[in-house]
Amino acid sequence: MPRFGELEAAIMRAVWASPTPVRVRDVLEALRKERDVAFTTVQTVMEILFRKDWLDRAKQGRAYVYWATASQEDYATALVEEALESAPDQAAVLSRLVERMPDDERAGLRAALDEAKNREGLT
Amino acid sequence: MIVASALLAYAALLAALGPSVVRRARWVEQAPRLGIAAWQALSAAFVVSLVLGGLALSVPDLRLGTGLAELLRACLAAVRAQYATPGGAVIGASGAALAALVLLRCGWRMAATLLRAVAERRRHRQVLRLLGSRLHASGAVLIDHAVPAAYCLPGIRRQVVLTTGALDALSERQLQAVLAHERAHLRGRHDLVAAAALALSSAFPGLALFRAVSEETVRLLELVADDAAARSTHRLVAAEAMLNVAGQPEPAGAFAAGGTGTGRRIQRLIAGVPPLGRVPTALAGGAAAALLALPLGVFAGPAAALVDTACCVDGTMAISHAEVCEAMPTTRECLTR
Repeated sequence: MPRFGELEAAIMRAVWASPTPVRVRDVLEALRKERDVAFTTVQTVMEILFRKDWLDRAKQGRAYVYWATASQEDYATALVEEALESAPDQAAVLSRLVERMPDDERAGLRAALDEAKNREGLT
Repeated sequence: MIVASALLAYAALLAALGPSVVRRARWVEQAPRLGIAAWQALSAAFVVSLVLGGLALSVPDLRLGTGLAELLRACLAAVRAQYATPGGAVIGASGAALAALVLLRCGWRMAATLLRAVAERRRHRQVLRLLGSRLHASGAVLIDHAVPAAYCLPGIRRQVVLTTGALDALSERQLQAVLAHERAHLRGRHDLVAAAALALSSAFPGLALFRAVSEETVRLLELVADDAAARSTHRLVAAEAMLNVAGQPEPAGAFAAGGTGTGRRIQRLIAGVPPLGRVPTALAGGAAAALLALPLGVFAGPAAALVDTACCVDGTMAISHAEVCEAMPTTRECLTR
């Protein structure tokens, strides 16, 4: 029995990998290449993903077809934006390495760094 | 009343002078960890003075240097005296209310801040997991994204997160410095330190003291992590790593105007700061300890005596009014008769 979170991720990967909307049966087929999983399990998890707003769906015949509400790239961008733009009062949530800097400040620091490296014999 | 006034005046003094002390201190650049501890002591001293000051108001005639025996005999009559007059009762009740309010407010903001952080991190982790995140050899989670970024998700399931863009922008040693920076945050539970400071600042929204302390704490935590990165490699390697990660043009959304704390951090690494000497370290540590010890000491002496009397109330019942007046002539009840 795979962990629930892994199954969610695997289903999302399968949905993202497909160029067209998918049925539960299609996802099941893709998942069975890697793991043993029951149809009803996949169906349930896909319904959960729909309720969490990660999947959207429409009735087609007697079954639903599902598609992702946003692309994998969109999710990645949102995560990185969140990490980079987090306000100071969110410091407790996550901590990013650096803030963005204006070009001129960056150039000035780069020059100072190169000078220090030369002085200390570091290249 | 003297103890209460002294404690509340001390709190007011800290609130008035604290912000400029916090913002002007230069030695913290050389000892960021000690700096954080000092500002924590300063914050605690303020809260403790308020709470103890309130408590001192709510119990009668807590005076500096009161003898145990005197208090023992006078306690019952004194309590009766304070709460017998309307003015005394009001002062006593508002003192207790002040202490309770400060404690409740701090506790509530602390819990709210932590709960919110946990919820937001859980959501962030969910999306991370959903993306089918790959693991880098270092144990960090990789996000496929061109913008270089490195950050950490603190908590029980702590995690360093890197973008593929960061991997492209960093050499192997620079990556080592970045990882050392993030791991220093995780290992030191810097999220909790920041959360405590931010919670205090939100518990007293108008107070410049806690705003200064929280801003400085967040900044100093970065310096602690920068120093860890410098130690793990070389300070110039760490500086270049930060420049490379910060150095990419932003695709969307500008940085906060003038918010170039990062620039100052990189400058600090390039220049190199020597660790704080032994004497200044001892001085700063001693001063921080004294800040907090003062209100505790002022309150603890007389309070200890008072607590003792509470444990032997049955004995005081037998003491006559005349005896109380003799032992404690300043008690209001005696004066009014």
